[in-house]
Amino acid sequence: MSVAIIGLLYAGATLTAMMIGVPIAFALGGVAVVFMAIFMPSASLDTVTQNVYEEMASITLLSIPLFILKGSAIGKSRAGQDLYSALHAWMHRVPGGLGIANVFACALFAAMAGSSPATCSAIGSAGIPEMRRRGYSPALASGIIAAGGTLGILLPPSITMILYAVAAEVSLGRLFLAGIGPGVLLVFLFAVYTVWKFRQEYRAAEKVVAAGGKPTAILDQHEYTMAQKLSSLPRVAPFVILLTGVMVALYGGFATPSETAGLGAIMALALIAVIYAVWKPTDLEPIVASTLKESTMLMMIIGMSLLYSYVMSYLHISQSAAQTIVDMHPSAWLLLFAVLILVVMLGFFLPPVSIILMTAPIILPPLKAAGFDLVWFGVVMTIVMEMGLIHPPVGLNLFVIKNIAPDISLGDLIWGTLPFVLLMMLAILILCFVPQIATLLPDVVMGPPRR
Amino acid sequence: MAFLNRLILTLGGIALILASCVLTWSVVARYFLKVPTPWQDEMAVFLIVGSVFLSAAAVQANRGHVGIELMASLLPPRANRIRMIVVDLASFAFCAFFAWKSWTLLHEAWVDDYHSSSTWGPPLWIPYGLMALGMTLLPIQILLQIGKPVETRGHA
Repeated sequence: MSVAIIGLLYAGATLTAMMIGVPIAFALGGVAVVFMAIFMPSASLDTVTQNVYEEMASITLLSIPLFILKGSAIGKSRAGQDLYSALHAWMHRVPGGLGIANVFACALFAAMAGSSPATCSAIGSAGIPEMRRRGYSPALASGIIAAGGTLGILLPPSITMILYAVAAEVSLGRLFLAGIGPGVLLVFLFAVYTVWKFRQEYRAAEKVVAAGGKPTAILDQHEYTMAQKLSSLPRVAPFVILLTGVMVALYGGFATPSETAGLGAIMALALIAVIYAVWKPTDLEPIVASTLKESTMLMMIIGMSLLYSYVMSYLHISQSAAQTIVDMHPSAWLLLFAVLILVVMLGFFLPPVSIILMTAPIILPPLKAAGFDLVWFGVVMTIVMEMGLIHPPVGLNLFVIKNIAPDISLGDLIWGTLPFVLLMMLAILILCFVPQIATLLPDVVMGPPRR
Repeated sequence: MAFLNRLILTLGGIALILASCVLTWSVVARYFLKVPTPWQDEMAVFLIVGSVFLSAAAVQANRGHVGIELMASLLPPRANRIRMIVVDLASFAFCAFFAWKSWTLLHEAWVDDYHSSSTWGPPLWIPYGLMALGMTLLPIQILLQIGKPVETRGHA
């Protein structure tokens, strides 16, 4: 049987298993094992478990649960609310300042927690009701939080990027740094849109008043005294210190990424113990339980995806698919476009971790051959997968928001997030023309890349 | 099983915190005490891998291993029940196979006394044993749940 046919069968079997709803980890593992049994020497079946263990027992991959622990410690405390109200106290004079404060809070929180859904629920649970009380439309309020939350996988420490670094064999430190510039760009775009949309809603409210209607909450002015502003700072400062501490440890050359993860988790647990008095075993239990559940689910998917791509490469499926693409000599931009469309389509159904591990062996060699910088591509791919987090049908962030604000209709949610999806596309376009936004920072901090 | 799952989640949580402590210690030891740290990384790997495999069943208990739920909303209830049974049987078959191969691996590592190739060189039956145990609990948990509807859905 030719490689092409085996490849098609492999893809078909995987699709079928996943579509009928077999959990992703077991679907990938099961399909891999069945194809091993049919097409590979029988001895290979005996080493399946050793294979999975050895792939997983990498200290880089295993920093993922520790990053989740750090995020969950911060996420389950009141840190999200505090961060958000402090920012709001300082920004209320700007038109749409509340919305911008939410975007900033999401970005800062994402940088500490590294997870998109966690960011959505931590900032959104206070932010969405507050914005709606101040007259923001439900669509705008939920759009801001859904989009702001996606920054979690772009800003360091991002779990998605850890996986990409492993799959593409690029420096994790570089990749983390490369995410910062585009992250700032997205924050800027989101903020500009928020101001524009807020003005629009504000004028609409004014027109209602001019026509003799009732004034709505959006027209109210709020004042904060200097004392109120200053008193909000002490609660936020420790987390900013944690954030910078972790970055210094990582880029000052004091710690490896995994050590940073451990250090960050311990620091986060210590901080919530000191500031929020969360230290009793009963308080800590929900934090570690949710960490374990999330990391086990993720690590099982990761382990099985690695087994899946091992089989794919043993049977030469990935190599010949990659070779076929290279042989077609597509123009660089056409190739990039096709790859990104593929990622978007996979993003309809699959979480980012499986997309990266399943597609990396096929799409990265042709991209490299076409002369793309793989660190740069990692950032672009991450933004594309972010879009998958906020558009239906999977749109994980949408479900998180549906949970914290059940009365916002799905239609409002989708229409509210759609403009942000467009803004992300714009950001990708900008990144294509000005790749330095991503690559400048790592080049400055870590020196030019070795070729 | 419910009690066992709770116990495992607690132990796993402690293992994760311990792993963080070990890694933090390795930074402190290297920079302040100038002590080389040959065992920390591997120790952390064992702790984390162990807790991940052990808690696989506990995660399955509330169907926390995510799948694509698209079909669930499209099919009529009867067909959906059949679909769920098929899904559970397929998951069970794979996990049981994996469990079996984990035990053979553990046996091999025990009999031939495998050690990791690092300078510390701990015996490999420790992580293999944890993997075998966890991957045995997982199919048992799936078997208990076959065809049962989703009660609480964990989210990622």
